[in-house]
Amino acid sequence: MELIGQLILIAVGAAMINNFVLHYFVGICPFIGVSRRVDMAFGMGCAVTFVVTVAAFLSWIFTFFLLQPGAPLAQWVVGLFLPAETAAKVDLSVLSYIVYIFVIASSVQFVEMYVRKFFPVLYKSFGVYLPLITTNCAILFACLYIMKNVVGVGPAEQWDLARSLVLAIFAGVGFTIAILIMAGIREELDACDVPEPLRGAGITLIVAGILALAFLGFTGMDRGLAGLFN
Amino acid sequence: MAWTIIILAAGSMLLLAVLMACVLGWANKTFCVEVDPRIERVNEALPGANCGGCGYIGCNEYAEAVVAGNAPADLCTVGGTSCAAALAEILGLEMEESWPRRPVVHCGARTADRLQRNEYRGEPTCAAANIISGVQGCVYGCLGLGDCRQACDFDAIHIIDGLAVVDYEKCVGCGACARVCPRNIISMVPFKAEQMLAVICSNKDFAKDVKAVCRVGCTGCGLCAKMSELFTVSDNLPAIDYDRYDAAAFVQDIAKAVEKCPMKRLFYVGKPTDKDLAATADEELPDAIQADFRTTVDKTEWHG
Repeated sequence: MELIGQLILIAVGAAMINNFVLHYFVGICPFIGVSRRVDMAFGMGCAVTFVVTVAAFLSWIFTFFLLQPGAPLAQWVVGLFLPAETAAKVDLSVLSYIVYIFVIASSVQFVEMYVRKFFPVLYKSFGVYLPLITTNCAILFACLYIMKNVVGVGPAEQWDLARSLVLAIFAGVGFTIAILIMAGIREELDACDVPEPLRGAGITLIVAGILALAFLGFTGMDRGLAGLFN
Repeated sequence: MAWTIIILAAGSMLLLAVLMACVLGWANKTFCVEVDPRIERVNEALPGANCGGCGYIGCNEYAEAVVAGNAPADLCTVGGTSCAAALAEILGLEMEESWPRRPVVHCGARTADRLQRNEYRGEPTCAAANIISGVQGCVYGCLGLGDCRQACDFDAIHIIDGLAVVDYEKCVGCGACARVCPRNIISMVPFKAEQMLAVICSNKDFAKDVKAVCRVGCTGCGLCAKMSELFTVSDNLPAIDYDRYDAAAFVQDIAKAVEKCPMKRLFYVGKPTDKDLAATADEELPDAIQADFRTTVDKTEWHG
């Protein structure tokens, strides 16, 4: 029960309360770039959700088994070659950034090939933004968020794979929600008489800001939810 | 210990790289999409200006259409003949002789030549001014508000004394100006020579009405048609048959027609020849051009 409660808290937190786009302001580039049409925005949301899930899965595995201080795999390798030094914990967490970037870039490449083969129309409408998921900070942010909860915390609070995956999936869902709302508003904006100096990027950023303010309304929901489950 | 960490870090990155390379290599083979390699090559041969002069959205779209056989190979106006030749070679097509197309502004009236002008204070675009009657007497001629200059991506058309003038040195012939002109006075002419003869007027009214609105308008007298069969007069306006146009073969007819034209509406347009450049070589140009601000509130005439 407690685990399910925690998972729900993580899910709601990632999707609504601490929405990656509208609370942390990461992943703004595709959020602005691909939010012109609702169908394209939905495709982008799905792609980001998929990539962030794959990246989180891989990064949790690498973090847990390789990068964290005293990680089993690293410890085993050291024990194999230098049995004398096993007393000290092997800390490879300096590698975290490069490993995450590596993992993200590879999974984006993979998704690009997959989409190109099976969804050519989607591939065409993504254009340059599909490779841009590589540099989408929302995904690196998800990896680092997971790392924060794996490295340097006690064994009791340490996140397991399930929690990491829930965070990643719902971060993607939150991104999709945000970009869909944005695309809906921007489709309506096309028919509006926007003052000339604000047209284009100006009004888009203003709308994003107002959206972020609206999402501020979810703050405090987590405390209520926590009370519900404990 | 530090050495252990460094070796371990290097080793794990190496392993990771090998692992990912294997996965991506497998995916590359499994999810491989057959793309006609000619599309890539055509894309490389195209200039990549994405100007839309060929009628397709961008160079990539055009490349796909060419390879699919839906479009002729000589549509790219920016690349010109050399580009068309490269495309034809890639596709194994026979090259037909094609000419670069360049815009010709069929109006020769500077602001001072236009009569019955009224002050216009509306939106400063030709498209807006064209809706209103009475901006100037001639309903066919250039409005001089510069929609064509706005449309040009290559800085090749300018408004000089209220008249759109093409800079043939810079022009690549994408046709954006011809498409945007609300009065349709810019036409794309196949330039068979560096300089082409053109009728510089669009007014289709009778002589009396033309005289009333323009100092230099074509009266439709038809003298040019009498001098050479290159010209056909319809709606009081001569047109040049560019399919048959050949400056060398018609040189005497053309010279006579140019000379006889009472309004002097037949001009050679195009890149300046060496002779033109030599004639203006000793004219001194100012080092810096002073900005010439004009306001809409002007006691004299509104110059656009």
